[in-house]
Amino acid sequence: MQPLAPVFVARGLTKVYGAGDSRVLALKDVDLDIRQGEFIVLLGPSGSGKSTLLNILGGLDAPTSGTATWRDHELTGASDEQLTTYRREHVGFVFQFYNLIPSLTVEENVRLVAQIASNPMTPAEALELVGLSHRAGHFPSQLSGGEQQRVAVARAIVKRPDILLCDEPTGALDVDTGRLVLAAIAKVNAELNTTTAVITHNSAIAGMAHRVLRLSGGRIVKEEANPRRIRAEDVTW
Amino acid sequence: MVNVLDIKVARDLWSMRLQVLSIALLVAAGVAVFVMSVSNYQALIGAMEAHYRNERFADIFVGMTRAPLSIVDRLREINGIGIVEPRVAEPVRVIREDTNLPISGRVISLPAAGQPLLNCLHLVQGRWPDPLHPEEVIINAAYAEARAVRSGETMAVVLNGRLQGFRVVGTALSPEFIFATRAAVPLPDDRNFVVVWASEDAVASAFDMKGAFNDALMTLAPGAGPQHVLEEVDRLLAPYGGTGAYGRSDQPSHRFLKDELAEQETLSIVMPSVFFGIAAFLLNVVIGRMVEAQRGQIASLKALGFANRTIAFHYFKLVTAIALLGSAIGLVVGRWFAIGVVGSYAAFFRFPSLEAQLEPWLLVAATLVSVGAANLAAASAVYRIAMLAPAEAMRPETPPALHTFSWLQTIGSQRIPLQYVIAARTILGRPVRTLLTTVGIALAIPLILFGLYWFDAIDYMIDVSFGRIERGDAFVTFTEPVSADALYELRAIPGVLEAEVQRVVPITLRAGHRAYRTSATGLDSGSELKVLRDSALRPIAVPSDGIMLSRTIARQLDLEAGDSVTIEVLEGSRPVREVTVRRISDDILGASVTMERTALNRLMREGSVANLATFRIDPGQSERLWSRIRSMPKIEGSSVKALWFALFNETIGGMVVIGALVLSGFGMLIALGVVYNSARIALQERAWELASLRIIGLTRREVSAVIISELVVELIVAIPAGLLIGRYLIELIASARASESFQIPAVIDRSSYAIAALLVIGAAIASFITIRRRIDRLDLVAVLKTRD
Repeated sequence: MQPLAPVFVARGLTKVYGAGDSRVLALKDVDLDIRQGEFIVLLGPSGSGKSTLLNILGGLDAPTSGTATWRDHELTGASDEQLTTYRREHVGFVFQFYNLIPSLTVEENVRLVAQIASNPMTPAEALELVGLSHRAGHFPSQLSGGEQQRVAVARAIVKRPDILLCDEPTGALDVDTGRLVLAAIAKVNAELNTTTAVITHNSAIAGMAHRVLRLSGGRIVKEEANPRRIRAEDVTW
Repeated sequence: MVNVLDIKVARDLWSMRLQVLSIALLVAAGVAVFVMSVSNYQALIGAMEAHYRNERFADIFVGMTRAPLSIVDRLREINGIGIVEPRVAEPVRVIREDTNLPISGRVISLPAAGQPLLNCLHLVQGRWPDPLHPEEVIINAAYAEARAVRSGETMAVVLNGRLQGFRVVGTALSPEFIFATRAAVPLPDDRNFVVVWASEDAVASAFDMKGAFNDALMTLAPGAGPQHVLEEVDRLLAPYGGTGAYGRSDQPSHRFLKDELAEQETLSIVMPSVFFGIAAFLLNVVIGRMVEAQRGQIASLKALGFANRTIAFHYFKLVTAIALLGSAIGLVVGRWFAIGVVGSYAAFFRFPSLEAQLEPWLLVAATLVSVGAANLAAASAVYRIAMLAPAEAMRPETPPALHTFSWLQTIGSQRIPLQYVIAARTILGRPVRTLLTTVGIALAIPLILFGLYWFDAIDYMIDVSFGRIERGDAFVTFTEPVSADALYELRAIPGVLEAEVQRVVPITLRAGHRAYRTSATGLDSGSELKVLRDSALRPIAVPSDGIMLSRTIARQLDLEAGDSVTIEVLEGSRPVREVTVRRISDDILGASVTMERTALNRLMREGSVANLATFRIDPGQSERLWSRIRSMPKIEGSSVKALWFALFNETIGGMVVIGALVLSGFGMLIALGVVYNSARIALQERAWELASLRIIGLTRREVSAVIISELVVELIVAIPAGLLIGRYLIELIASARASESFQIPAVIDRSSYAIAALLVIGAAIASFITIRRRIDRLDLVAVLKTRD
């Protein structure tokens, strides 16, 4: 698939946590373009700044300096309300710890997002995409970790997001269940043309991406495109 | 080297400072109310005992027509008698230029040597009369203050029908006139009743009592029982017109004081103890949840190898620090309020010294209860968590067995927004926690109601006593019974709108070996200005013959309707009669004995006479009216309802209002603490979940709705439940505390329910605002990094 024009444009992103002696420079002057429908993997060790970058892209955090725009949305300097609207309308999140609501069933967790989206698919369709239709009536505590993460993917995609941001989606999973989750993410990217960014420190996943960005010490130190992508089923670690 | 866990205690206290402060204030409110009330009650008891001891209050009292002083030695010979103090005591009238109101009083002889042996005077101001100046007198401090009488002023006193001038040289307190009440007048008023202590010579010559006495005070010898002594005294004094010896329990001032103290006991001991108990329970609930919210930390400490004991000790330090902080604030504030409140008592309870007491056991007890309650809660929470495997405890608590309630899954199937489904499932999925929070909020409501109730009770008592029972605007008493035709004379006075007469006679009721000293009121049937009422406020008709008794008296004498009882009249020809008890009444205004007036006249073998008149007056003509009345013969004293109200508001009113305000203020503080902590802990436990909702795009308002709707549901259940519990507790306390001459009814006005409910709702709104602020500030990024 041929990538299109950039939808994400970041210039000179810098993020500093704390002040004085406890000052931590999480991102240093990062420039980044991400194109519509692109599958990107951000690789790097702990503390390299990849989560900070993803959080800024997802409207969860604001840079100390620099600019980040998504299409015509200026993310830097946006109010909390504007960022909430941005997340609500355009972004789907998948996190390492699933972040499901324990008192809602699988179907309800997905519907929770569907009810606030403008053009969602049905929760049943989303669950079908991740292969969990048969678990719709269960509570998260009744599911395995892999199943819970696939519910999180379904919840992220039910709104037909423009961007899918995944932070260590397989971090808490074993290989077999991790593959199922990755397959679900790849399927969404392919079938819905959803721009996808996956953070991982697991370089095996890198083979699935159109493009791999390596971060270290708050900078993008290496950027490479995959001439041939591997399927989720072939990922091993 | 400081223990790292101790550093954690300090840091935890600091990081939870608002929560710590609110819990400490909850403890402080409970401790303050308890300490203040108990120490004030002890101050009253202590002041009474000291006054009785220092001023040598007599044990036995007796009046007679006239007895020679030689009898005194025979009294002393009675086995069981200690000291005997003979004296002359007579009713007097006082004339003042600045008022037309008749002022009555008593003159009491002082021995030539100065202080009497018994019922000594505590000089408040001025000096002791000079034996060489028989015109010098001491008067009671209450009257002196009410009428602003200074030392050196002269006083026009009518003694035995003759006007005589006395010079006031001092004011004093006496243990027999702590409440200077006159049995016949319904509204005792310090302005219209005076006690004059004058030299033996002056009094004896005015009343023709040289070498004689008509009143005696006695003490019991150590170990002597009163019954035998009373009988012997009566036997000895019978030829001299003895009106029956009686002990302290029948002494008017003491009886009234005892009833007042019984009421104070309700306000000062029973209610504050219930209050403190509830506060301790709420502390238990709040601390329990606070510790449970640290589940992950406890599990981590356990996983690191800390023994359960060490962890428990760690939390012991944490909650003890909070409880001690609260107790310390409570003790200081309670002590401070105690001093202020005890000051408000001084206008009502006339004791030589009345100071807030603070006994060490009170400090220790209050502190132990709060520290104990806090640790009980903490220990059980730590125990519950420590019993789990560390790995299990480190995982966030999942709603227990949610899936087993299949009906829960159908709640809000499609239509209700899912944030409310989350709230509903949390409420139903953790019934014990929901119940505890709800009960906690509910129990804060009675604490507010306790205070408000006193306002309602006082309003009700005033309305009932003086709006529905004693309906006259003013009363006058006569020095001796006058023909009931005096009524026509009274009605003819311009400004008198309506008038009625009563016959009031001091009596002793006897049934078997039991006796009760009181007065009987003869009331005309169909009386409009005094309407007896039962506890449901229905008018009670006066029986045409026989007597009607209050239940409290009937119970003391073991009497029932239809029984016969002996009446010994203590004035005039002192007839002794058997009468039938026609009715036992549940009247609400003290204990009373009532007869039809003409029946009482027949019993007294007298014509149609009366010695008390009550009337409604035209306020515009009151000056002229009183000047006419004062000039009428045989007028003794008076009381005016409007003046009495003013006095009431200064004394009892002020005292109760302060107590009630303090009580409801602390109640509100506790309500705020409970509601805030419930909300705060709910937020703490659910921060992760709420942040997740924010991340996936729910707005602050939608996320706040989860926590706030949970609390709203709890409030909706808790408020009516709390109001009902409050009503029930107040009824329980009121019925358990009904005293002989005063029954505090369990009346709670609708406005008090509304105020209590609104205050809790106000506390809830304040908590919602702080919760909403915290939700607005939730750190979304931090939440992603940790599982809980």
